[in-house]
Amino acid sequence: MADRIKSTLSGYAKYRGRGHVTFLTHRISGLGTFVYLTLHILTTSTVFFAPQWYEALVIFFRNPFVMFAEIIISFFVVYHGVNGLRLAYIDLFRPDLLEKQSNRKFMAAVFLITLLLWSPAVAIMGYDFLKYGLGFFGGG
Amino acid sequence: MGSTEHPAQMKRGYHVLTWKWMRYSAFLLIPLVWIHAIIQALITGGHNLSLEYVNMRWLITGWRIYDIFLLAFAFSHGTLGLRQVLVDFIRDEKWYRVLNWGLFFLWLIISTIGAVAIIGGVKFPE
Repeated sequence: MADRIKSTLSGYAKYRGRGHVTFLTHRISGLGTFVYLTLHILTTSTVFFAPQWYEALVIFFRNPFVMFAEIIISFFVVYHGVNGLRLAYIDLFRPDLLEKQSNRKFMAAVFLITLLLWSPAVAIMGYDFLKYGLGFFGGG
Repeated sequence: MGSTEHPAQMKRGYHVLTWKWMRYSAFLLIPLVWIHAIIQALITGGHNLSLEYVNMRWLITGWRIYDIFLLAFAFSHGTLGLRQVLVDFIRDEKWYRVLNWGLFFLWLIISTIGAVAIIGGVKFPE
């Protein structure tokens, strides 16, 4: 068990095949989203199971650390979706791309599309973060 | 193969089925999750959340159905994805079984809690 964990982790660090970086970022963004999703389901469920808790949680969600974390999570969600589409596309239509250097350009395109789709979230959630999280623009 | 065979490879049918579920749920989740996130996080905004808001939203049955689909596809996709990551760390059959049952109960409990809340709706404190 312990040696398996060690060999898997060192495999993560040492493996340098094509798609090494996106393999890791897809997993990291997926795991981050999963942790958020689990907490999101549990906290939202309090509207039925313990509504007074929900009222306390809503106040907690305006904590600047929580608001900042949500912006990061929104990046994970967009990235995981766009990169997932790349994986499915290669798998279904262009398996030859796995062997080619041009896949690197494809990965860069995924990153740029992610930034583009994420930018409205940064603008709107960033504004809310400054206003309600940190108290700028007369919020608080 | 023999003793070095990965436990995951011993159950091929199951493996193919979960792979397909990951792929198809992934396609569905792109519109489901992104529309949900755009409406809740960008248009409504987290700071506007309240029991009244959730209650108003769930007055429309269509949104409850939407949320049930979101819950079902997102959480199963997440649990299977987590399983895929953790399986890499496991070699022996015993821990593989522990992991599978552990994740199955996690999936069952969280999904049930979410589904009960969506169907039950908002209970205002007395």
